[in-house]
Amino acid sequence: MFWQQVVNAIWLGAVYSLFALGYTLIFGVLGILNLAHPSLYMWGAFIGLVCVTTLHLPIWLALPVAMLGSGILGILLDRIAFKPLRARHAPHLATLISSIGASIVLVNIAQGIFGAEVSRFPFDIFPVHVFNFGGVSVTLLQLTILGISLVIMVALRWLIMGTRQGQAMRAVAYNTVTAARLGIPVDQIIMQTFFIAGALAGAAGVLLGLAFNSISPFMGGPMNLKGLTVIVLGGLGNIEGAVIGGFILAFSEVMSVAYLSSDLRDAVSFVLLLIILLVRPNGLLGHSSTKRA
Amino acid sequence: MKKTSLTVFVLLMLISILVTACGGATTPAPTAEPVGEAPAATEAPAAATEAPAVAASNLPAEITLAAVHDLSGATALYGTAIQKGIDLAAKQINEQKFLGEGITLKIIYEDAAGDPKQAIAAYEKLIANPDVAVILGPTLSNEAKSADPLAQEAGMPVIASSNTASGITEIGDFIFRTSLPESAVIPNTIKVTKAALGLTKVAVMYGNDDAFTQSGYDVFKAALEAEGIEILTEETFAKGDTDFSAQLTKIQSLAPDAIVVSALAEEAANIMVQARTLGIPETIRFIGGNGFNSPKLAEIAGTAAEGAISGAAWNVASTVPASATFVEAFNAEYGANPDQFATQAYTAAWVAALAIKNADSVDHAAIRDALTQITDFESPLGMFSFDANRDPIHEPVVLAVTNGAFDVFKP
Amino acid sequence: MNVFSEFWATYSSVVQFALINMLLGISIYFTLYTGLLSLANAGFMGIGAYVSAVLTIHAGTPLPVSLLAGALSAALIGWLLGLPVLRLREIYLAIATLGFGEIVRITAVNFDKFSGLNLLGGAQGLSGIPKLTTPGALLFVLIILSIFLVQFHKSRAGRALAAIRRDESVAATMGIDVYQYKMLAFVLGAFVAGLAGGFSAHLTRFVGPTDFSFNAAVNILAFAVLGGTLHWSGAMVGAAILTVLPEALRFMKEYRGVVNGVIMVLVIIYLPHGLINPKWFQRVFSKRRAQ
Repeated sequence: MFWQQVVNAIWLGAVYSLFALGYTLIFGVLGILNLAHPSLYMWGAFIGLVCVTTLHLPIWLALPVAMLGSGILGILLDRIAFKPLRARHAPHLATLISSIGASIVLVNIAQGIFGAEVSRFPFDIFPVHVFNFGGVSVTLLQLTILGISLVIMVALRWLIMGTRQGQAMRAVAYNTVTAARLGIPVDQIIMQTFFIAGALAGAAGVLLGLAFNSISPFMGGPMNLKGLTVIVLGGLGNIEGAVIGGFILAFSEVMSVAYLSSDLRDAVSFVLLLIILLVRPNGLLGHSSTKRA
Repeated sequence: MKKTSLTVFVLLMLISILVTACGGATTPAPTAEPVGEAPAATEAPAAATEAPAVAASNLPAEITLAAVHDLSGATALYGTAIQKGIDLAAKQINEQKFLGEGITLKIIYEDAAGDPKQAIAAYEKLIANPDVAVILGPTLSNEAKSADPLAQEAGMPVIASSNTASGITEIGDFIFRTSLPESAVIPNTIKVTKAALGLTKVAVMYGNDDAFTQSGYDVFKAALEAEGIEILTEETFAKGDTDFSAQLTKIQSLAPDAIVVSALAEEAANIMVQARTLGIPETIRFIGGNGFNSPKLAEIAGTAAEGAISGAAWNVASTVPASATFVEAFNAEYGANPDQFATQAYTAAWVAALAIKNADSVDHAAIRDALTQITDFESPLGMFSFDANRDPIHEPVVLAVTNGAFDVFKP
Repeated sequence: MNVFSEFWATYSSVVQFALINMLLGISIYFTLYTGLLSLANAGFMGIGAYVSAVLTIHAGTPLPVSLLAGALSAALIGWLLGLPVLRLREIYLAIATLGFGEIVRITAVNFDKFSGLNLLGGAQGLSGIPKLTTPGALLFVLIILSIFLVQFHKSRAGRALAAIRRDESVAATMGIDVYQYKMLAFVLGAFVAGLAGGFSAHLTRFVGPTDFSFNAAVNILAFAVLGGTLHWSGAMVGAAILTVLPEALRFMKEYRGVVNGVIMVLVIIYLPHGLINPKWFQRVFSKRRAQ
């Protein structure tokens, strides 16, 4: 049982990390806690679903289309809900509320179009294959999602640390005024950041929609609190932090169910969060006092 | 200074509390408190009693039923199914001129959005509206516990169609429901399955932060104990969870005869898919209550749902004659099969119309009395009556998923 | 029936919810005014609601006693929570306090199962609470709170809190005990939230664990931010508007949610500092003075 639980935890950790990446990216570059991120995740899942069911695209094509779609939604979100606030030098709390309003709108539009019911991807869209290694079961789908998640994580890290674009993003994150003086097209960089974060949310939406068969306008809600916990655990704005945070939360949840009591699962997670924050007030990999404009 | 401002704060609070106490004392007595809102509570029915008094024993040309249901938010799933059921009933009632020539039934909807506060606000608005004859709703038991007392105080009949928790009709003699409570469904299911499958030890899984799934668990537990079936473990999950593999892995290691699940259909479907993926064999069946009974279960779980057993108030496979005609009409209207929520809501709307017709009045007290008199009404749920506690009486069924759809359980 | 009594019959509960939400707005105003982003208020509200409801039902205490006990319990737990978490900053504090709210919720869900008592009702919640909340009592508490807030802002403590918001390190060098004053704001906020919880329980006659979840915490924040965090009346205005808005939009039927969200975004975009901004008052005053 122990090894199966370890596999369960690794799998769940990948799920949490994948969801949290876009969340933490926006915070890292712009210092915004974008509470509409879970809504982009939900829209990604629906775009993928529409691609598969009405356009009859194969899933490997639906995934990039959904990423593109939710990436564009990400840009729209920035143009409508965040850019005007940046222009007015609004306080951070204002952007938080604006993101809440935007997420209410996104969820309600989704409900208007797709209804409140829970739907799933068609059964034959992905081959069901269970591997059994000495009593431990893993599905092909789980392995694929784990693989795609790892690729996305590595690619994102490379993008930010190893490319000119990433350099520009980091400059914007450090200080927008200085970045502009250095000739970096700040507005364009912010737009790209929102596109990437939206696309990441969309990828998570399609993949987790495949894994958990519960696509609905409200699917973002339950993930939201987990996502927030994950990015804060790891250190806000930190890509590796989001990954580590995801695995810590997953192991805490799975192991408390396995060896303690499922009643206490969430209590254990939040007590753990509090303890980690008390020891490391900026998360595990966060830097002290990243004060922003 | 800091201290003084704190002292001031504490003092002011104390004074405020004293004055609140005095304010409470000026009204006659604490027991008379409900009278405090009497203008709202007593005037509405009074206005309603006057109207029919003028029109003697005749119904007005337009009769208004109000439906308070969750049409937005995460529970809109149920609210919208219920709405379809009510709309279909209203359409048939009007087409058949059931209430008489030239008399039409109108439904007004108020959204409660899954929030007891919004349910209260909606109830208050409807109670103040002299046209409203009966309230259908609310969707959730939580909403009912907050809002139904208002209707009870105002003497407004309420017919719920989706509240299955205990303590709903106990709120008062104006509160009825067409939804069979879990306590009328589950013990029967356990008895039947124990006899058929020879259960001796089971694992239980339930959502512990949801009123519906927790109350289902309470009933299951009592029923299992009554039948002398051992509970190996009780695993819980939270509303909105999608990954259940940790709980299922634990259950797998205990090798139960069956897994008893109190969950909503969407959660149950994922539990089944993940259980089969983990290698829990199909001989270990899933047993559930009302929550399982939705076409969504097999739609989402696919072959993993095969063999799942559900106790229920109603199902599409029902052999009741009125059920077949209802399913046909529902399909013609919406192009899909109804679920239990739609059926119970459909029945609630019909029962309301029947009571109004029998009372030949839209007076709230008269309708209430007529509701208690309803016996052997031929509904899709079966021959329908209310018992002395205003809960429905009809036979529950035990169903099992066979070839992708629920059918009557044959051991 | 005259217009007023008709209105009152239809909307008295909405008005009372608005008044309770105003209390919640003020409860979060205390911390926001100090520059603390705390989302624990929904949890404090839950503590106040459960404690006062249990007392009323089982001990038969009169409303004021139940309310006070609920509010004091919330304040006490706020103090205990504040000891460790007030060292955290910004979003970290927000998420830690959000986690606290979840712990309150989980405790409410599991309390009966683990204690063997039949007290909080688990996920079923606690029902059958007598309806004792009256608009008069709510109004009275709000007026008292307003008077307190006016006095408070003139006091040394009030000025210290404002100084901490402007710049913590400067405040510290001015000799302000930053930690103690943060605690004061935190505990005051907890007390008022607990009070609001008690009122709410005795108005809806029901307390359930889901009433105090993530969404409730975020809503309370929205009251204060939309109304404006720079003046205490902002939180009250914001709470009133956000409570009345969904009711006022009922006629929109299925578009209600979308319109609600759009209004929220528009207001915050055009008035990023909230609806009530003291700078306007100042501008009006300075104009008068100039004349």
